[in-house]
Amino acid sequence: MRLLLAEDDRMIGAGVERGLKQDGFTVDWVQDGRAAELALEQKVHDLLLLDLGLPRRDGLDVLTAMRRRGDIRPVLILTARDAVADRVAGLDAGADDYLVKPFDLDELAARIRALLRRDAGRAQPVVTYGALELRPATHEVRLHGEPVVLSAREFALLEALLARPGAILSRAQLEERLYGWNEEVESNAVEVHLHALRRKLGADAIRNVRGVGWMIAK
Amino acid sequence: MSDPAASATRSIRRELIGRLALGLLVAIVIAAVATYLRARDEANALFDYQLAQMASSVTGMPLAPGAPPGGRPGANALVVEVWNRDGVEVYLSQPQRRLPQYGQPGFNTVATDTGEWRVFSMLAGDQVVQVAQPMNVRRELAASMALRTILPLIAVVPFLAVFVWFGIAKSLRPLERLADAVGRRSPGILAPLAESGLPREVQPVVHALNGLLARLDTAQGAQRAFIADAAHELRTPLTAIHLQTQLAERARTDDERRAALAELRAGLDRAIHLVTQLLTLAREEPGVAERPLARVDMAEIARGVIADHVAQAAVRGVDLGLAAAQPGNAEDGEIVAVTGDAAGLRTLLSNLVDNAVRYTPAGGRVDVAITNEDGAAGLSVRDSGPGIPASEHARVFDRFYRAQAAAEVSGSGLGLAIVKSIADRHGAQIALGPGIAGTAGPGLGVTVRFPAPPPASS
Repeated sequence: MRLLLAEDDRMIGAGVERGLKQDGFTVDWVQDGRAAELALEQKVHDLLLLDLGLPRRDGLDVLTAMRRRGDIRPVLILTARDAVADRVAGLDAGADDYLVKPFDLDELAARIRALLRRDAGRAQPVVTYGALELRPATHEVRLHGEPVVLSAREFALLEALLARPGAILSRAQLEERLYGWNEEVESNAVEVHLHALRRKLGADAIRNVRGVGWMIAK
Repeated sequence: MSDPAASATRSIRRELIGRLALGLLVAIVIAAVATYLRARDEANALFDYQLAQMASSVTGMPLAPGAPPGGRPGANALVVEVWNRDGVEVYLSQPQRRLPQYGQPGFNTVATDTGEWRVFSMLAGDQVVQVAQPMNVRRELAASMALRTILPLIAVVPFLAVFVWFGIAKSLRPLERLADAVGRRSPGILAPLAESGLPREVQPVVHALNGLLARLDTAQGAQRAFIADAAHELRTPLTAIHLQTQLAERARTDDERRAALAELRAGLDRAIHLVTQLLTLAREEPGVAERPLARVDMAEIARGVIADHVAQAAVRGVDLGLAAAQPGNAEDGEIVAVTGDAAGLRTLLSNLVDNAVRYTPAGGRVDVAITNEDGAAGLSVRDSGPGIPASEHARVFDRFYRAQAAAEVSGSGLGLAIVKSIADRHGAQIALGPGIAGTAGPGLGVTVRFPAPPPASS
């Protein structure tokens, strides 16, 4: 899952970025409101982590404009403003959740997972598909009840494909989910990871549609 | 009987009652005197008429000695005497009270050894008729009339006193209510007191109190906003520390742990810097601590502050120094003195130099200058950093405001607020302008100009 982090404080931004990457998220970090809007236009992120006190364009403005454009991606506000009026203003402007600084990295990751889960229309913390079970919180995958060991990239790929079963994802789309802006994408990396996945889950778990991409059959 | 403590404090009620009683007393005395004088005048007119009537009625009457016509015998009775043309007494109403014949016809007041008498004499035919009456009859009458007039007044006084006593209590009740309302206030409630329905005498007090309450409310609001801002600002470094602590805990390799600990250290330094600046600002608040003013040599302060920051500047590759002599700048060895608080002035310059060093990129330059223009001391700090656009000049002195370009550099947002607070305390003017133009931008020049000392003659 790829997240956009809009945070102007360098220390906090770097800490959140590193912590969330350790939790298996792909994170792109911008430091002002304009950059956040530009990044949102690319439509590659699944969720926005938004600080309210951003330079150049206030966080609430970014949020309001985003909702006015019809962008319904989940937004989690990260802010030091903790007055009830501030929370109400943030949630009323279209935020899905509100976390007051200082916050705990584990709680942040859990809230992000909850928002993504709800965004995908699920309430259970476990994604099940046939004999396949996927737990985003612990990165556990089970096939017929047996644990399967996956690397972080393999897990991210499987999660992306499972988010919308039946939809074909191109290589570019899968790369977008896997890699942040500053990460170098090795050629054939997606194929390598998919190959490993098919080896571990069975060859027919992921279907290749030649010239188009990959999908998990409905 | 009377409480000594109560008598020691003045009482409006008691004073009012006292003054009222005195006024009443004076009024009663004046009324008595006036009534007496008036009654005496009236009695005079009345009795004079009676005397004339008596004299007229005696004329032509058959006169027999000892038979007083009309007048009753007694001390107050009229004395009637009749003489013939030859001056021979032909009639005397009261033989034991003989009066000499007074020549003047008409009314006369004469003094005798039996007191003052009012005498009326007239010529009737060949007789002289003289009717006389003692004056004290009239005086007694006037006095009794005056007494009758003021007696009811005196009787009313106690009633009036009681009435006034309670009346004053009632009139003073708004004051008591006011004292009660003020007394029951908790320190946090600074809403204005009701000003309507108050007597005109109490209104100015309440109005002045409300003015004070409003000023207190403003001050308290500013204080509360400052605390909220400070807490908000402290949250940022604390959040960073919290995050880095968690990352250090999660670290699996030594390198990861070292990196997280270094970040943690930086976050702590930031929090410490912010708290230090907050304390400095609190100490420089006007009215918090009045420190003694002394003659302070600015050049010495500048040398001390530069020495404090040389190491920091060297680490950042910034050339920090005292500007070379140029017109307006103080010359070597010249003492530029400011009357002020030495510690505060050092803090002021230290904050300016710290800012300049922080925002100037490596290879840049920071010049400190002490100026002396027409006896007015000044100082300036110029750097070759990015500068501050003019549109932000007004706001950079606000607490916690950080210039847009400052996001790259960690800071508390309090430095210039502290500088302003100290400058204000010294009556000094701060001006922002371009500094040393360089690769990073126009640079920033901060000039602080102190007021010229008063002429030496004073």
